[in-house]
Amino acid sequence: MNKKEKESWVIHLFFGITSLLMILPLLLVLIASLTDEQSILANGYSFFPEKFSLDAYHYLFILDPGVIFRSYGVTIIVTVVGTIVSLLLTAMLAYPLSRTTLPFRNAFAFFVFFTLLFNGGLVSWYLVYARFIDLRDTVWALIIPGLLLNGFNVLIMRTFFTTTIPPTMIEAAHIDGAGEARIFAQFVVPLSKPVFATIGLFNTIAYWNDWYNSLVFLSRAKFFSLQYMLNMSLLNIQFLSQNSQNTNAASLMQSTPQETMRMAMAIIGIGPILLAYPFFQKYFVKGLTIGAIKG
Amino acid sequence: MKKRYISTLFASMMMVSLALSACSGNTNNSPDNTGAAQGNNPDETAGGLKPYHLVMAFPGSTPKDLDAVNEAMSKYLQEKINATIELRPIDWGAWNDKTNLMFASQEPFDVIWTSSWQGLGQQVAKGQIIPVDDLINSYGKDIKQIIDPEVVEGGKINGKIYGVVTNKEFASTRGIVMRKDLVEKYGIDTSTLKELKDFTPVFEKIKAGEAGMTPIEAEANNSPLTQMLQYDGLGDGPGGVVRGTTDLKVVNMVATPEYMDLAKLMNEWYKAGFINKDAPTRNDGVANAVKAGKAFSYAVSMKPGIELQESRNTGMPMVAVELTQPFMTTGDTTSSMLAIPTTSSDPERAMMFINLLYTDKYLINLLNWGIEGTHYTKVSDNIIDYPQGVTSANSGYNLNQSWMFGNQMNTYLWKQEDPDLWSKYKTFNESAEKSPALGFVFAPDSVKNEITAVNNVSQQFSPVIVTGAVDPAVTIPDYLKKLEAAGVDKIIAEKQRQLDEWAKTNK
Repeated sequence: MNKKEKESWVIHLFFGITSLLMILPLLLVLIASLTDEQSILANGYSFFPEKFSLDAYHYLFILDPGVIFRSYGVTIIVTVVGTIVSLLLTAMLAYPLSRTTLPFRNAFAFFVFFTLLFNGGLVSWYLVYARFIDLRDTVWALIIPGLLLNGFNVLIMRTFFTTTIPPTMIEAAHIDGAGEARIFAQFVVPLSKPVFATIGLFNTIAYWNDWYNSLVFLSRAKFFSLQYMLNMSLLNIQFLSQNSQNTNAASLMQSTPQETMRMAMAIIGIGPILLAYPFFQKYFVKGLTIGAIKG
Repeated sequence: MKKRYISTLFASMMMVSLALSACSGNTNNSPDNTGAAQGNNPDETAGGLKPYHLVMAFPGSTPKDLDAVNEAMSKYLQEKINATIELRPIDWGAWNDKTNLMFASQEPFDVIWTSSWQGLGQQVAKGQIIPVDDLINSYGKDIKQIIDPEVVEGGKINGKIYGVVTNKEFASTRGIVMRKDLVEKYGIDTSTLKELKDFTPVFEKIKAGEAGMTPIEAEANNSPLTQMLQYDGLGDGPGGVVRGTTDLKVVNMVATPEYMDLAKLMNEWYKAGFINKDAPTRNDGVANAVKAGKAFSYAVSMKPGIELQESRNTGMPMVAVELTQPFMTTGDTTSSMLAIPTTSSDPERAMMFINLLYTDKYLINLLNWGIEGTHYTKVSDNIIDYPQGVTSANSGYNLNQSWMFGNQMNTYLWKQEDPDLWSKYKTFNESAEKSPALGFVFAPDSVKNEITAVNNVSQQFSPVIVTGAVDPAVTIPDYLKKLEAAGVDKIIAEKQRQLDEWAKTNK
């Protein structure tokens, strides 16, 4: 074995172990969701359970499908709609900021940048969406607050546009008689696939994983997102077991979902987002930068 | 160039000041009525009340058929007090965040469930709920006849009543629950078990006879020691009044001989292998260990009907052995109450509704168990069961929190439950020994930092001591030193001061 081969072995081993560290916990959750409730209680989690059972999935999909499917639908719709609208808005704000000819360009850019440093805090944020624009108990509460437009994403996009779209090309298009909208739609967007893919993925994940908006703005179960359901089933159990000295809280423990069910919910929640990764993968190869020159 | 910087500076200053003023300006706004849909029907109805929409918030999961129950309740309430109602259950895990936001944004709602272990003191300190003494006298007269006045006093803070106490059990006893099948198998005579020490031979039998079984399951904040230490904790933070003393002296419970004796016993048991080895790090409910067939017994806070409750928690028949007499502290009397938020635009109507929860059998059962025929059927006058094909798992309305609202003694009992449970509750309450500090609530604000520091120390020491994992003779002195450094004496002095103040006006 020469030196080069040795080195590549070390590298392979390192990344192999790293991947395992990522995959094993996921696998454990999957196996736990397929384990019989009694054997989890008796032996804890294990990669090789005594007894397999499909009870948790059976319960989720067959005995009580309404709740899960509903929140699943809500999450999917919100993710798709939110991602598309959010991408569009981000691009439409970032592109003008990247153009040197925009009047007050720096003032606008500062306006975006400022939101990264300061915010009004939770209460004022809530007040705006609850009292001035009443989004409570509407599906918009899951799409707009905190997710629709993210200053950081705008700055990433702006940087991309300034560094990869040659101003000369825009000038040439102008001379050939294309208007601003056409330049944006037919020249800039096709050339910027990598950044759209990246920001798209960020948004997709942010929407898919969001539970906080459900917590804050929804008081009825109508639009609860999948992640909120999962989160609450965990938090409720945590809360009740902390207060288990209180007999009343203890009596509520019996009605909370069981270990295997929570694991099954987690697995169901991961599903579609795993499929989204390969779709975006090919665009990442090109790489992205915020500041320095890309190699 | 320079000019531009200056203008951005001004712009940013303006924005900051705007943002700041927006934060501070919402405290003295009068609440608007966006949430409370006022009916615009000017007709005066029976009783001369305008139509009103009540909103009631409480912790719990949202049942599927909530809307149907809302509708049925509204229909009934319209006849009674010309109001409609919206029940707003909020998940336990979201309860604190959500209610704080509701208060901060002046959201109008009319009734909120609260308790001493879920923020009552804080809500009073922040002025989020209103004192209801006058309202009870004018619109809640019946409540006073139903609940023992001394218990109503128990909900007082700074001499005012802030919450209407749920009529349930107001005391607790402490003891051990054991698996019934094994108690019979080993011929254990429960009448000989009078105190914790008496269990040692029992556990020896279990240890010898049942391989791999933990005789008594304990965990970080729930062990025989935490359950059996008899004192009134007087609300937040360390320091309590030892049960049986009458001089209202606040002491550090960790420094008492009782604590040391119990800790020594725990240590003996731990060394003998009676307590599960992983007790100091566990925190997922002792009943689960019994359910899994890994443990024989555990210590628990008790009330009438406890055997059935724990049998349900463990999935097998249990025997309960009470080791103490019923004891009533402010913690028990304030463990579940209904309060009226400051944002309610019609507190009078809210109180009328609360009053109905105490007097009206139909209403309270509708709230607790749902609609008759759909969610439950009557077996006899006061006993109910699930209808055909309905179980606790697929029921469309399974709040199962009758201890939260109004008059629990008016609610139906399930077929499996003891039909005389409510009368047992009554005798249990009447027989309870009342703590000399009953009715005192500690306001912890002035020693908040010390309490946090002390809690951090306790989290480090308490789990290993209460589960017997360490030798108390060595660890407790060390624990006390660390507590002292964290400022435990200051908290106790403050508690003592407030308690003395309270005693002057209340004795």
